[in-house]
Amino acid sequence: MSFRLKLMLPLLAVFTASVGYPLLYAFYLSLTNYKITARYNTRLVGLKQYIATLQDPNYWNALQVTGTFVLLAVFIEFWLGLFIALALQKQKRIRNFTRSFLLTPMFVTPIAIGLMFRFLLNQQLGVIPTFMAKFGLSYDFFGPGKALYSIVLIDVWQWTPFMVLLLLAGLEGLSRSPFEAAKVDGASAFFTFRKITLPLLVPVISVAVLIRALDAMKVFEYVFAITRGGPAIQTMTIQYYTYQTGIQFYRLGLASAMSYLLLIIVMVIVVILFRRIESTRKNP
Amino acid sequence: MRKLNNVAKLAAISAAVAVVLAGCSSSSEETATDTGAAAGAASGTVRVLMEGVPDTDIVSGLLADFNAEYPDVKVEIETASYDQMRDKYVASFTAAEPTYDLAILDNPWVGDFAKAGFVQPLDDLIAASDGYDYADFTAPLRAIGESDGKVYGVPFYNYALGLIYRSDLVTAEPASLDELAATAKSLTTADRAGIAMQPQKGYKAFEEWGNYLFAAGGSLYTDGKVKLTTPEAKKALETYIAMYKSSAPKDSLNWGFDDALRSVSSDKSAMMVSYNWMLPTLNNPDGDSGALAGKFKLGTMPGGKQVLGSWHWAIPTNSNASDAAWAFVSWISSKAGEAKRVTAGGAPTRTSVFSDAAATAKDPAYFATIAKILSNAEPLCQGANCDEMINAVGTELNAAFAGEKSVDDALAAAEEQANKIQAE
Repeated sequence: MSFRLKLMLPLLAVFTASVGYPLLYAFYLSLTNYKITARYNTRLVGLKQYIATLQDPNYWNALQVTGTFVLLAVFIEFWLGLFIALALQKQKRIRNFTRSFLLTPMFVTPIAIGLMFRFLLNQQLGVIPTFMAKFGLSYDFFGPGKALYSIVLIDVWQWTPFMVLLLLAGLEGLSRSPFEAAKVDGASAFFTFRKITLPLLVPVISVAVLIRALDAMKVFEYVFAITRGGPAIQTMTIQYYTYQTGIQFYRLGLASAMSYLLLIIVMVIVVILFRRIESTRKNP
Repeated sequence: MRKLNNVAKLAAISAAVAVVLAGCSSSSEETATDTGAAAGAASGTVRVLMEGVPDTDIVSGLLADFNAEYPDVKVEIETASYDQMRDKYVASFTAAEPTYDLAILDNPWVGDFAKAGFVQPLDDLIAASDGYDYADFTAPLRAIGESDGKVYGVPFYNYALGLIYRSDLVTAEPASLDELAATAKSLTTADRAGIAMQPQKGYKAFEEWGNYLFAAGGSLYTDGKVKLTTPEAKKALETYIAMYKSSAPKDSLNWGFDDALRSVSSDKSAMMVSYNWMLPTLNNPDGDSGALAGKFKLGTMPGGKQVLGSWHWAIPTNSNASDAAWAFVSWISSKAGEAKRVTAGGAPTRTSVFSDAAATAKDPAYFATIAKILSNAEPLCQGANCDEMINAVGTELNAAFAGEKSVDDALAAAEEQANKIQAE
């Protein structure tokens, strides 16, 4: 055995135990009718759980809700984060304080954020509706057709700083010479941003968007703390639906199949994104 | 050969570590008796997980009295929020080495846990306990703890619902669903809602609406099947939606128990359908109600029937201290234990406690209402897959509240799903 392989062995052992085993066991469960409260009647059922999942309209609804949430949240977080990062790059005074302050929401656990906004946005007792009422404004934050967007905004509040952090690091790592050349040539600020800043930032943007999108797909806490998937099933995200099926309703076999199908979907998206990033890197 | 030796050594070390760990993980050290719990005979450590609510604090406060009679039984209470409890219990029930020797079960869990073999029948222990008088528990509460003719849980405390209202605003308790709607509407002002409702998707929606169904003269089950496509169910749902629109706090579609309680205690709503034991909390002069303390009253739902919830004591099949656990359960839920618990502020479960002058001295009228409530109350679910069934019905109801589905469609879908889930 080569020395390099021996050095990798501890990592491989830990990886196999902590990731490989649960993945394989979940795959096994997805091929069974395993239910926690009927453990002794467990038997192999082939692809039945996968077929049931694919035929379940609530699963597709949850995928759609999650997709909408991810697209909207990441889109807003990216552009808002980029705007703030550009502003912070130009900042001259109290830079460290501003940056630390802006990062604060990231340090709070999402379940606490969910509970906090549940009461902040409470129409009768919440600070925000009370403040809005002073200007004659009223908005049903968790009403039909609106709850998902309110949850997107909560996510934006908490995770835009993450985008700021990555994009600011990317901006500060860019070479100054193209910008100086553009200035000498008399390029406008917008032209410089569009033709130099954005293209140079693409690798950082790709990674930031990918990480944030994968993280946003796990949205669970806000739904759990605020809406429980409602009104009706308008905020039923895939993680909450899988949790309900597997943990709340004990159907671990079915929940495992749901998770595996999600894993396949995510893997396909990630592979496509990585290929695009790679091709952009080779042919800018 | 050298590789084989290494593998053998590794296996031997692993086996030794496993033996040591197994030895360390046995935290209970029970000296078990066979059955029953003669005073002082049982011994051991009883670990139990309980919800962080006033009734748990009351039980904790009685442990010294229990240990005066059972000095060799140590009860260790761990508290958690409701959302954590079931998962922790299931993990313990399915583990080779349990985390808990005693459990409290919410009523939707009893049927599933009994069928899964997670908890043991208590019939023999009850029969062997002289003077326990199991029949003294109110009939609806007894029924919740039973499955397939066996007793798997004995009542700990009830959380039957009732109508909580401001006595300075409501002059006469509504006698019908229409009267409730009319009262709520008449109490609604610009600054105060007539009734704080809890239409949150899932459990809360079904739990609250269930009371409206009973008030409309309906029932959940007919011939063992969920039946919601009835005129009574339609009337209940239409009334609920009308009341939500006219008399509930604005934009409160995601409201649950906490939100309604805050609204009522802060003078933002005049009534709510809630757990009967919330009354002492609302009337506590040192509580959140402030100057409103003392102005709240409890009534039965119009028509007299309401949704019943309850917690039951149960002994896990894999408990390391079954006898010690039963010693504690049979003490705390005995007639004398119940009297002590209720005197300390706990929610009653036994019929006899209502005629105990000392236990009910604080507010006889309140206890008289609870007696009425417990005599005519029904849980949301009977049988298997209750959590799933309750959630499915609660989701359909919430869709109707939100205007996403018509009343007829929501009730038909709820009925179909409930029966499908319970048949599995």
